Amino acid sequence: MGRIALELLLRRIILAIPILICVSALIFILLRLVPADPVAMSLPPGSSQADYEAMKQALGLDRSIPEQYWIWISSLLRGDFGTSVFFRRPVIDLVATALPATVELVVFSLIVGTLLGIGGGMLMFAWRGTIGEQVLDLGTTAIMAVPEFLWAILLILFLGVAVPLLPFIGRLDPSVSLPPSVTGFLLLDSIMTGRPDVLGSALTHMVLPVIALSIGLAPLIMRVLRSSLIETIMEDYITQARLRGISERQIILHHALKNAALPTISLIGVQGGFMFGGTVLVEMIFAYPGLGNLMVDAVRNHDLPVVQVVGLVYCVLVLAINAIVDVIYLAANPKLRMA
Amino acid sequence: MADVLRAKNLTVSSAGGIAVLRDISFAVARGEIIGLVGESGAGKSMLGRVIAANLPGGFHVSEGSLDFGGADLTRITGEARRQLLGREIAFIPQEPLTSLNPVLTIGQQFSEHLARIGGLPRSAFREHIVQALADVRLRNPEDLLQRYPFQLSGGMCQRVLIAMAFAAKPALVIADEPTTALDVSTQATVVQIMRRLQREQGTAMVFITHDLRLAARVCNRIAVLYAGEVIEEGPAGEVLEAPRHPYTRVLKAANPVLSGPRHRLRTLPDQMPTVEAFARLPGCRFATRCPVADPACAAAIPTLREIAPAHFVRCSDACGERAAALVEAEPILVPPAADKGSEPVLVLEGLSKHYPGKADWLGRRKPGTDAVKNVGLTVQRGEFIGIVGESGSGKSTLARLIAGLETPTDGRILVAGEDVTRADSKARALRLETLQMVFQDPQSALNPRRSIDHIVTQAMEPTGASRAERLERARSLLAETKLSGELLERYPAQLSGGQKQRVNIARALCVTPHLLIADEIVSGLDVSVQAQILNLLLDLRAARDLSLVLISHDLAVVRYLCSRVVIMHHGVVVEEGEVDRVFGDPQHPYTRQLIAAVPPDDLDTPWPAPVAVEPDNAEGLERASI
Amino acid sequence: MTPHGRQALERCLHSPRILVGGIILILIVIASLGAPIFAPHDPQEQDLINTLLPPMWQAGGDPSYPLGTDGLGRCILSRLLYGGRVALYVAALSSLGAMLLGTVLALLAGYFRGPVDWLISRIVEIWMAFPPVILTLLLLLALGAGVNKVVLAIVLIDWTRFCRVIRSDVMVVARKDYVAAARLVGFSHVRTLLREVLPAVAPLVLTMLSLEAGIAVVVEAIMSFVGLSVEPDVPAWGVMLADARSTMNQAPFGVVVPVLAIFLTILSFNLLGDGLRRALDPRLVTSRGRA
Repeated sequence: MGRIALELLLRRIILAIPILICVSALIFILLRLVPADPVAMSLPPGSSQADYEAMKQALGLDRSIPEQYWIWISSLLRGDFGTSVFFRRPVIDLVATALPATVELVVFSLIVGTLLGIGGGMLMFAWRGTIGEQVLDLGTTAIMAVPEFLWAILLILFLGVAVPLLPFIGRLDPSVSLPPSVTGFLLLDSIMTGRPDVLGSALTHMVLPVIALSIGLAPLIMRVLRSSLIETIMEDYITQARLRGISERQIILHHALKNAALPTISLIGVQGGFMFGGTVLVEMIFAYPGLGNLMVDAVRNHDLPVVQVVGLVYCVLVLAINAIVDVIYLAANPKLRMA
Repeated sequence: MADVLRAKNLTVSSAGGIAVLRDISFAVARGEIIGLVGESGAGKSMLGRVIAANLPGGFHVSEGSLDFGGADLTRITGEARRQLLGREIAFIPQEPLTSLNPVLTIGQQFSEHLARIGGLPRSAFREHIVQALADVRLRNPEDLLQRYPFQLSGGMCQRVLIAMAFAAKPALVIADEPTTALDVSTQATVVQIMRRLQREQGTAMVFITHDLRLAARVCNRIAVLYAGEVIEEGPAGEVLEAPRHPYTRVLKAANPVLSGPRHRLRTLPDQMPTVEAFARLPGCRFATRCPVADPACAAAIPTLREIAPAHFVRCSDACGERAAALVEAEPILVPPAADKGSEPVLVLEGLSKHYPGKADWLGRRKPGTDAVKNVGLTVQRGEFIGIVGESGSGKSTLARLIAGLETPTDGRILVAGEDVTRADSKARALRLETLQMVFQDPQSALNPRRSIDHIVTQAMEPTGASRAERLERARSLLAETKLSGELLERYPAQLSGGQKQRVNIARALCVTPHLLIADEIVSGLDVSVQAQILNLLLDLRAARDLSLVLISHDLAVVRYLCSRVVIMHHGVVVEEGEVDRVFGDPQHPYTRQLIAAVPPDDLDTPWPAPVAVEPDNAEGLERASI
Repeated sequence: MTPHGRQALERCLHSPRILVGGIILILIVIASLGAPIFAPHDPQEQDLINTLLPPMWQAGGDPSYPLGTDGLGRCILSRLLYGGRVALYVAALSSLGAMLLGTVLALLAGYFRGPVDWLISRIVEIWMAFPPVILTLLLLLALGAGVNKVVLAIVLIDWTRFCRVIRSDVMVVARKDYVAAARLVGFSHVRTLLREVLPAVAPLVLTMLSLEAGIAVVVEAIMSFVGLSVEPDVPAWGVMLADARSTMNQAPFGVVVPVLAIFLTILSFNLLGDGLRRALDPRLVTSRGRA
């Protein structure tokens, strides 16, 4: 099992390389189409034509597009991610502070959404054919018609402004001082450096964004789990287990759930990827200093060095989450494991 | 001996009050096997559902009782029933491959069952399971514990399920078509294992099947069901060899045989009435199809009369002259000689199809499979040739190669003397006017969105024929396949299985082909419907200058229709020759094994014969490696 | 009409989801198309004396501004009605475009398999590596802002949704014997695709079209929210949201109005899609025959 999982992970990483090459090329080409002059933007005000030519050469913009792409990729591989035009700071620094914030948000939201979804799905299944199921069904339909960024706005309106219960700006209270960065993950760092005040503040700041992100995921999981449970209990092996006198509880927990979980796991993989997209607007609305905020700022300011790196980082994150979910799927599905 | 299970006037009704099972009475004693025999729709599986309290929506027991060890199974509570299931009453299912949970190992599922039965310490489970698996002659039982069901063949899964069923030493075992989903050669093994355990434990058993011959071999007594009623019940040998009810007589005569003279098969019109139609049959439910019915039959429900010791028949004329005359007067069929004079319709030379194995992520290819290996075959004009093989023998791939749906990796295909191996447009045109294919599964072969007239004249669509031309052609094709013209504007979902298969044939005939390739076209049909289709093919041979390549797993079907037979095994032709020679004097051990797996018509010949019962773990391990 | 068609239509007409979704959608369409008739004001007209008015039924409301005004004194109801036109325009065009592109490629990939399938599947895989929002931002950055650019971006991104799902359905259908039979009686590939395969996947395409329209409404709202969609002088729901967000503390109602409009539009598309899926499910249709 362990060996096969490792092999699969390795395989996913190797397969991700050509995808990342294509993705980076696509981003690169798209950004060459941008109607803005990156040279002029990189220059301080009042520069001369000679400065312009020098900068153009320094940025490699006097070369052909494939050459430019190669320069970008090889400097990426050397660890040189370029410099933000807008912030005048190395892109890597910006990403290094923003990435952990986004990953924390997504991991929490995935966990919360999945737990809610599994619980709700089991409930819907248990209530199948009753009014309770109809009510849940109607409720999920309504919830799914509200996209994440609207949840964010509504949550601020109701829980931030109307009944101020929870903070809705940033990642920490302004009064709380930042702990020394160990991993960059605020929650981990605060635990490792023994700062319960930071942990508490960070967690309360995460509540609303996490709700906004996970509330859309839960109904999807609920529905898929409900329908795959219903399909599963029609299978011959469930009938056969009943005919052996196995109790209904055991049948659901031991026989049905393991099979019904498979489509749910694949769904979480796809939705996990989409959730990174969802963070963009949610972070922006909550002024949460993550990748999404960085991305929107960079797009608005035509900060191309930042846009191209952050775009690529998003793709890496999606591929990573897909690979992880694939390994989980493999662990749950002996048919694939044995193939 | 005490009866283990006793059904008394058991009646199951639908929500609308129609009796789906009517007045069923029978009893099974310790150590006895009763066979419930019937075609689909007869209600033979309903009994198991009554016992398990698993009746379809709206169906309920409206009358009668089902006594098991002093308790009435139609009345006990859910929990009391659950306590009986698995311990006292065990079930052997029809589809072994899907009846074991795919995400749990054999060991896990068996352990769960033992834990449920109770009475055994957990530490003893492993030894007990290994013993039980060895007992059903599964090789390497230790290794099987870690295996998942999909790594096993159907026969192996069924043996695991049999071992589980008998693990609790139940008083009663219900086996619902336990061999139907299995390959022919596995059938004998499974039956033998089941019987041995049953004898050893003195279990009472209900054996549900559509196969009268098999039932006669397995059971002590047989009850024949038709449209929810027992129409004949008696000692197994007597019911098979001297059936008394007109339905049983026709059923027997509708079944092609493997030995003896060939008679034209008896057929019944239409098919078994559906549950909805029961309401329109106030009297004998068989009357509308009965060849010897008189007007009185449709009016009154006949009673089950004892016409010989322990032999009951539900017919007003069971011992009368009318029914007795049924079996005789059937014309004897002469197998036609092949026309060797003219150009053969089809020649295959060294035909092979290799499927490369899947490459893994490093580009390492797994070994591929040779679905068809170096097959040579000549089909003369007017010749009916049978290709026999079990699943995985490559017989269906061969059909698709001939039809041009797959391209061979090696060898040549000649149609009417022209090379059509390379599937270019010229080869396609030539194939189009020469050969057609009839597909196995009419459900998949008929587009559910097209009406019947559109389906049968589909070949005319690219030619731009007018609506009137197509309608006229459709009418004549339906007439030729003995379908009513009323069906023209129907849709496949509104047709019965037999009607669908005729539409399937009619479509192939639209282009007036010289050669039909028929892939298992009767395997999903009931015996009486199968006989209709087989006879239709015979009539078509007489009416048209038609050759047929019939692909089938059923030796008797091939013997009935074909003059020559080819036996395939793992993609290779292992034996070929005149039908009577091959079936009468088989040379290859595999052919002998196939023949031995079929219960012989003569009840005095012992069956299963020793050769048929080779344990076949090898087959399962092969599957696992694919 | 085939019994399939008839049955499906009957089920559609009896589906509460389709009825409710359809009625909401029709009302939204009427309100948006009739905006010039229904709107009490020009949506851009500023009334700097009457800024941030509450809706007319609240204290201080003005009947000439039924839903109140925004921070620049513009009539919220008028902006809402005109904003609907943008949402519906984007929803209709982009979902149709994505459907067309995705379905054609799915048909080719699923039917012909082999290298065609390989190529299309790889492109889908690359596309799927992007969170859709990120790819939209990148595309709009490259193409420049604007409603039509948003439409183009949605088509270029969301065809993969159609392609992935429909491709696997096409594969199932293409394996049916009736497709092989059509080839054997002389159907060309194109005819087989159009007459045998496409009708079988059409219900799924229709269902996805409806769901995609809902997604397009979201994307348009997001993009106009961040200022990458409509011109500054065009009212759109996302723009209204962004404007109202800055005055949320004084006039929370300004946020609620566009949120409700977006919610109802998406809800109607989702209800339609959900209802269509249930009404047109091929499994339900074929199981009507003899078991």
